[in-house]
Amino acid sequence: MCGIIGYVGFREARTVLLESLKRLDYRGYDSAGVAIIDKKLSLYKEIGEIANVEKKIPPLKGTTGIGHTRWATHGGVTKENAHPHLSCNKKIAIVHNGIIENHIKLREGLKKKGHRFLSQTDSEVIAHLIDDVYKGNLEDALITAIKKIKGSYSIVAISQDEPEKIVGIRNESPLVIGVGDSENFLGSDITAFLKYTNRVMFLNDGELCVITPNAIQILDINKKPIKKKEELITWDVADAEKSGFPHFMLKEIYDQPDTIHHVLRGRISEMDETISFPEPVEKLLKSDINTIHIVACGTSFYAGLIGKYLIEQLTNIPVFTELASEYRYFGSRNESSLVIAITQSGETADTLAALREAQASGCKTLVITNVIGSTATRLADGYILQQSGPEIGVAATKTFTSQIMVLYLLSLKIALLQKKIGSDELYNNLFHLKALPRHVRDVLERSDDIITIAKELKDAKSVFFIGRGINYPLSLEGALKLKEISYIHAEGFAAGELKHGPFALLTKETPVVAIVTQDETYEKILANIGEIKARGSPVIAIAEDKDTDIENHADYVLRFPVSSHVLPSIAITVVLQLLAYHVADLRKCPIDKPRNLAKSVTVE
Amino acid sequence: MIKKAVILAAGEGKRLRPFTETMPKVMLPIANKPLLEYVFDAVKKSGIEEIIVVVGYKKEVIMEHFKDYKNIKITYITQDRQLGTAHALLQVKKHIKDPFIVLAGDNIIDAASISKLIKDPSEYALLIKEHPHPSKYGVVIVENRNISRIVEKPKEDIGKYISTGIYKLPRSVFNDIERCTSEGAHALSSVIQSLIEKGKHINTLLAKSWMDVVYPWDLITVNEAMIQTTSEYTSGTIEKGVTIKGPVSIGKDTKIYAGCYIVGPAVIGDGCEIGPHACIFPSTSIGNNTVVHPFSEIRSSVIMDDVHIASSAHISHSIIGKGCIIGDNFSTISGKAIIEIDNEFKKLETPIGTMMGEDCIVESHVVVDPGKIIGRKCKISPMKQIRKNIPSETKVM
Repeated sequence: MCGIIGYVGFREARTVLLESLKRLDYRGYDSAGVAIIDKKLSLYKEIGEIANVEKKIPPLKGTTGIGHTRWATHGGVTKENAHPHLSCNKKIAIVHNGIIENHIKLREGLKKKGHRFLSQTDSEVIAHLIDDVYKGNLEDALITAIKKIKGSYSIVAISQDEPEKIVGIRNESPLVIGVGDSENFLGSDITAFLKYTNRVMFLNDGELCVITPNAIQILDINKKPIKKKEELITWDVADAEKSGFPHFMLKEIYDQPDTIHHVLRGRISEMDETISFPEPVEKLLKSDINTIHIVACGTSFYAGLIGKYLIEQLTNIPVFTELASEYRYFGSRNESSLVIAITQSGETADTLAALREAQASGCKTLVITNVIGSTATRLADGYILQQSGPEIGVAATKTFTSQIMVLYLLSLKIALLQKKIGSDELYNNLFHLKALPRHVRDVLERSDDIITIAKELKDAKSVFFIGRGINYPLSLEGALKLKEISYIHAEGFAAGELKHGPFALLTKETPVVAIVTQDETYEKILANIGEIKARGSPVIAIAEDKDTDIENHADYVLRFPVSSHVLPSIAITVVLQLLAYHVADLRKCPIDKPRNLAKSVTVE
Repeated sequence: MIKKAVILAAGEGKRLRPFTETMPKVMLPIANKPLLEYVFDAVKKSGIEEIIVVVGYKKEVIMEHFKDYKNIKITYITQDRQLGTAHALLQVKKHIKDPFIVLAGDNIIDAASISKLIKDPSEYALLIKEHPHPSKYGVVIVENRNISRIVEKPKEDIGKYISTGIYKLPRSVFNDIERCTSEGAHALSSVIQSLIEKGKHINTLLAKSWMDVVYPWDLITVNEAMIQTTSEYTSGTIEKGVTIKGPVSIGKDTKIYAGCYIVGPAVIGDGCEIGPHACIFPSTSIGNNTVVHPFSEIRSSVIMDDVHIASSAHISHSIIGKGCIIGDNFSTISGKAIIEIDNEFKKLETPIGTMMGEDCIVESHVVVDPGKIIGRKCKISPMKQIRKNIPSETKVM
């Protein structure tokens, strides 16, 4: 899933390319880059977000350029591996989407001819192949080069010697031409340039295009011209990317039955009764650990708080969950402690700083992240991937539930290694873990009930969330979701703490969402609900299907299914996510891009 | 040359309940691939460059699945109310300027037949097919290769050719559709019938292979036919002592334990655990994340995603929906059956076992009579024999 953009026209290419790359960011990215011709060809690429590239580019006047966002699924994320790639003489630049199957052979041949390679990517061979046959005409060189390539690709190339021209070709990977006035575009999808033009031409496999500010020429592989009609884009392109859902956040909430399976897949084996992690992680877990520190920020921090309950419950190892931004200055250090950093992007600056700090003091480090090849994975002694796929909505949803799943597997694994649980208990856990996606589907089906409650909450000035035990961090997460997307003030409290202060804030207009599970905290939370009711605040309980008594205590009840007490947190989280989503939707908030927030925070 | 194909995929497929309660009919799995994907593949292979899909019921499931479908431009148009095929087609009017073809998303068709239709010089053309039971369909009376009449579900035996619903049409057909729908006729066949009455010639071409999914048991027969065509691949871990014969596909992260005996054609999805000592016999597809415990036997069946089958189960000519948990010693009796569906009785000559909807929990030693339909989210206590259809969300105590 990479994004491509090419521009030739009258505007500053710098502005157009960066704008377009930001439009493509819904595809996810771990690195980005642009190449611009301003008399000379210049190249800027960085890992992390597009803003990192933006900072590096001086004000260039050039009006021709190409850009690329990369989301690595395999292979490392490094500056060298980011696109565009250059030829040896730095005059030709290319961006590429797809896979070159015969790149190893091609690379060997080119090396023998004296070409120097800077990256490990298959894409770089294209730049050298073109350079190898370039005689002053870029499309001729591309055609000659392409005949040697096997695989799927969309390629866009520019040459310093032909400054007002971009050429592109596609085979089994998308490429679309955007038609403007005295300017033209090439993109991996329409979203890239929709801001500038809605006139497009679609390329078919094996078709090549030569684009200048005032002309678009489409050729086949034998340079025979092909006639194409322009088409007008009227439908909302973003709709297709969201698979028919109104927001990415909702789509990602609905992704969860699958993403939860992805955490389990390949890691648990029901028959063998085992949980397996990559070798470096297994080695870490088998080493002598006397304490665990979990460091993280935001939603990941709440996942970490849940992790504390999970690990302590099963293993007796004391766990300290700390905010990364605090731990780096004040946390305790111990050589036999394991530091687990949780960061979805693997680039969160505060978490990385805490990780470095931990390593400097000799702690063992483990990272839970969603992005392979991210800085965090390269820093730590071992890493576990969440396998949630790119998350585009700023509010974390599926990545949070995946983090909880990883932490649960981790706690089971440690318990197993320390012989705290036997194979019978493990089997029982694994069996019920597999039922969780079904429980999530169940909650998703009941979203109408949640919409009814959302209507009650939408005009509130302030909402409280309470829970006990493992439900306490969930109440924090529920409050965070609500405040970040609906802009309603919300706070999460440990239910027992209400009477030590927050009670003063309760009024008849302060709804309280109580998470109620039928475990050892059940009687206590019912008592807390009673205390709140006595102050006249409306109570919304999130309770188990089997709980028949709850209606006598709470004003409204939202239900979630449980088949056992293995991790009800997952189904509860989905209820909280849908509640926040529907409140924000009723308030017509910009759900996928809340004000003042960014998806991955790479500044401290 | 025709470049655009319109695929109608908005329908719910009521007769395929309980399987269509959570997904549109076109997304039902055949050899672990949705029905609609076979249609897309054939259309793409025939040389079509753009697909316009009319979606409606549970459209998100379709759009999410085909998000990364390669190589062909897909445009989605929503039909909010499912009034009929002509009404569905009308939704795409503004996206069509030239002649086009229209297909149903729930019928499997081969690419060669579509190519033949695209190349046909006549203004109107229809793919027809000889069928042993024509009375279920629109029967086409052909004279000099042109249609003289289409009769929907005729009571008496008037001909053996049926309409596949796959047409080549000119743009002007939208005016005819508008006229007919304003008169209250919402089926495409009524529009065609009115065109014939106006003196238009509608050419007929014979389709090579065409298959329709109308009732749940059709999934088993279509699965059997299509599983032969899937390409073979092997991934995952296969322990020593596993016997595999014939074409068998095994997905990534799947584990096949020692002593399993698998006879193709069979398809096993990603993340499954099979065995030890389980037997999978021909024409069986098993979805993703499914577990089959020791000594279970599965043959000619469609097992969907996330199913858990305990030991010593016997599952034959059956469909098991997503997320079912099946206890040990479960047994489907397969044989001829008279099946009650949609207040009608259908007699099946081919063997049929159990058709079980999503998320059922079946305890140990349950036996199901041939051709019984169990709804979704049913709970069945141990040692029960199921002798009649069970509606969704029922507890059998």
